Amino acid sequence: MQSILAVDDSPSMRKMVSFTLTSAGYHVVEAVDGQDALEKAEAHAVDLVLADQNMPRLDGIGLTRKLREHPRYKSTPILILTTESSDQMKQAGRAAGATGWLVKPFDPVRLIEVIQKVIR
Amino acid sequence: MADTYPQSSGAGADFDLSQFYQIFFEEAGENLDQMERMLLNLDLDAANDEELNGIFRCAHSIKGGAATFGFSDVAELTHHMESLLDKLRRHELRLIAPMVDALLESADASRSLLARHQAGGQGEAPSTHDLVRSISELVSGAVPAIPAPVVEQPQPAPAPGPAAVAPALPTAAAGGQRALEIHIGPLDQPALADAIKELFRDIPGLGQIEDLPDERAGMRRFAVQTVSSDEDLLDLFAFHVAKEQVAIHGAAVAAPADQAAITPAEQYGFFAGAPGVPVDEVAAAALAVTGAPVASAVKPAQARAPAESRQGTQASMESSTIRVAVNKVDQLINLVGELVITQAMLAQNSRGLDAGLHQQLLAGLADLDRNTRDLQESVMSIRMIPMSTVFNRFPRMLRDLAGKLGKKVDFVTHGEATELDKSLVEKITDPLTHLVRNSLDHGIEAPEARLAVGKPEHGTLTLSASHQGGSIAIEVRDDGKGMSREKILKKARERGLDVHDAMPDGEVWQLIFAPGFSTADVVTDVSGRGVGMDVVKRNISALGGSVEIDSAEGYGMRVSVRLPLTLAIMDGMSVGVGEEVYILPLSSVVESFQVNADDLNTVAQGSQLVKVRGDYMPVVALERIFQVPRTTDAQGPGNNIMVVVEADGSRVAVLVDELLGQHQVVVKNLETNYRKVPNVSGATILGDGTVALILDTGALVRRARH
Repeated sequence: MQSILAVDDSPSMRKMVSFTLTSAGYHVVEAVDGQDALEKAEAHAVDLVLADQNMPRLDGIGLTRKLREHPRYKSTPILILTTESSDQMKQAGRAAGATGWLVKPFDPVRLIEVIQKVIR
Repeated sequence: MADTYPQSSGAGADFDLSQFYQIFFEEAGENLDQMERMLLNLDLDAANDEELNGIFRCAHSIKGGAATFGFSDVAELTHHMESLLDKLRRHELRLIAPMVDALLESADASRSLLARHQAGGQGEAPSTHDLVRSISELVSGAVPAIPAPVVEQPQPAPAPGPAAVAPALPTAAAGGQRALEIHIGPLDQPALADAIKELFRDIPGLGQIEDLPDERAGMRRFAVQTVSSDEDLLDLFAFHVAKEQVAIHGAAVAAPADQAAITPAEQYGFFAGAPGVPVDEVAAAALAVTGAPVASAVKPAQARAPAESRQGTQASMESSTIRVAVNKVDQLINLVGELVITQAMLAQNSRGLDAGLHQQLLAGLADLDRNTRDLQESVMSIRMIPMSTVFNRFPRMLRDLAGKLGKKVDFVTHGEATELDKSLVEKITDPLTHLVRNSLDHGIEAPEARLAVGKPEHGTLTLSASHQGGSIAIEVRDDGKGMSREKILKKARERGLDVHDAMPDGEVWQLIFAPGFSTADVVTDVSGRGVGMDVVKRNISALGGSVEIDSAEGYGMRVSVRLPLTLAIMDGMSVGVGEEVYILPLSSVVESFQVNADDLNTVAQGSQLVKVRGDYMPVVALERIFQVPRTTDAQGPGNNIMVVVEADGSRVAVLVDELLGQHQVVVKNLETNYRKVPNVSGATILGDGTVALILDTGALVRRARH
């Protein structure tokens, strides 16, 4: 079973994502912000990181940058969840080393579809 | 805007999002509270980025959740709030008071909208039209004294597409996708038309919009791809621009190929060459792949725990707090209460055992005693919530009230972290609100009056909480005009109350708690402190608490409220009458003594009075109230034991056979378990397993008085 780190400061979004992914057969590790995610990523090897962009303490872009510095997560897919699909955001995501982005709000079915493209 | 619930959304049938509504409502409520708090604390001249970012994030979170769970009206309103906050945090607009007002009002409106959804969407949705309009004007800088030019800036907004939410979309015109050219204007502020563009970004499935050049002054031109009818579009645009200012020109019906513009690809994307990018995705997008290893290459090889144990790990990896239904906590408290009783029973039954013969058993019982107490304390602490949950509602209330009264006030709080049982917090909120309101309304003077007596223009209202032994002390203090002793005494005499000039201050202030003491003329004369104070006092007494007042005319006033930390356990004094045991709340016991038969006087209708230090006090004979015969040897001369209890400011002497001791009792509600019994506030189970009634001292005092 593949493991996904779901990072979002919003409990309802986190639960929704977690429920969706668990239903699709993934193991989900939840984190409440980027800082928490770094600790969780250290403690558990995950196959994919799904991070909200806008979070307190450490945002999705910052988290991506930090994870890329970690030997274990050099090439792990990292998807940024965002409400801003602006070029500015995309540039920041790309520069930080993110794999891709997914626009919020999204359909649970779409979420699984995108995840399945990245990890199979 | 109509509501959309996920049943009708694009979510797959397997995903019922309604299970997350409750979490979302709570979360949104917390975000709104936090936003309000931060807005109230904002310094207009020196708002820092961190504060603005924090407020932005609250609006952003609510918007994201509302859009995801299908509450489109909330999503729309918070989207506008977010737009304004975004410009503020980017320093494209200068913060002014109307913005704070509009944001606070919008937070209120969001709360109402959410409450309506929480109630299942019943009733008329409050209109947010005016709010949206005023925020849009603020965003576009259409407010005097703000020279800031509106820079077209990418706004954070959900992209169009068939998302989980399909909010109240105008019905599609027959024929599907249409390509239109829309002219808007002439507008004084052409930037207002940007709000139209945001609509397309905000409402998934509405379609696409692009700017077209327009040389005419005050005019804007857009190319639009949509399935909505002209009428629906006009209705939507009416939020921002007048219908007369919109001209929709139909273009040729778009070829099916155009529809590909709104493809799922808009909803997500991958960066070419980024780590972890799926090869075929990028290849399909004809982007250069520069040797990005795919995810499978780095799949961790460790053995994984079986699914069952993984559940446990997952729970432990949760955030540091969890949300639990209150009834689960109550059940836990109840069970611990039972355990405490069982433990007390064991302790009582083992008392006669030989310590030498049963050394191990007794050591075990001693451990059990200690562990039970620790457990009880820990479990009780689960229900404890900080006073800040009550205090936080006041800044807003005071801001609004001060504005209305034309007064200036600084609000200071101390000890917000002091914890109190949840049920008490809920019940103390109204009395505290009343006290705080009174302080501002009648205590703190108008700015001119303050300046005239040499006080600073701004009054100070202090609210503090602290633990004192087994209770919590809450204080409402103001530096207003205080109360006049003379006026209160005069008023009391007019009302026929028994007062004299030598009364200590403390007793004089207590007079304002007398029922009906508050009349219109007192409101003007005695700064109106009497308004509903009897109700405040009664509510606090019902919680086992007390209220004290201290006032200095011209300098201010302090109201101190003392409450027990919890209603589930209380300190009681057990007394015996005949075969029965009753519990008196220790907080209301004043003293106990033995009386001579000579000191007892029988007056009309057989009621008795006892002479204590020269004063007469009514006697409450439990044997009569509960019809329990006293034991014969207890009735002998000199065996009259009286326990003086105080409630509602009066004292009565309760006649009992014996005093059994003082201990903590676990309070069981009689109303929920049996029915309401007069003169009894609850019941508890004693160490020997028998049930003892807890007496309602307030009712006993009232009974003796009438």
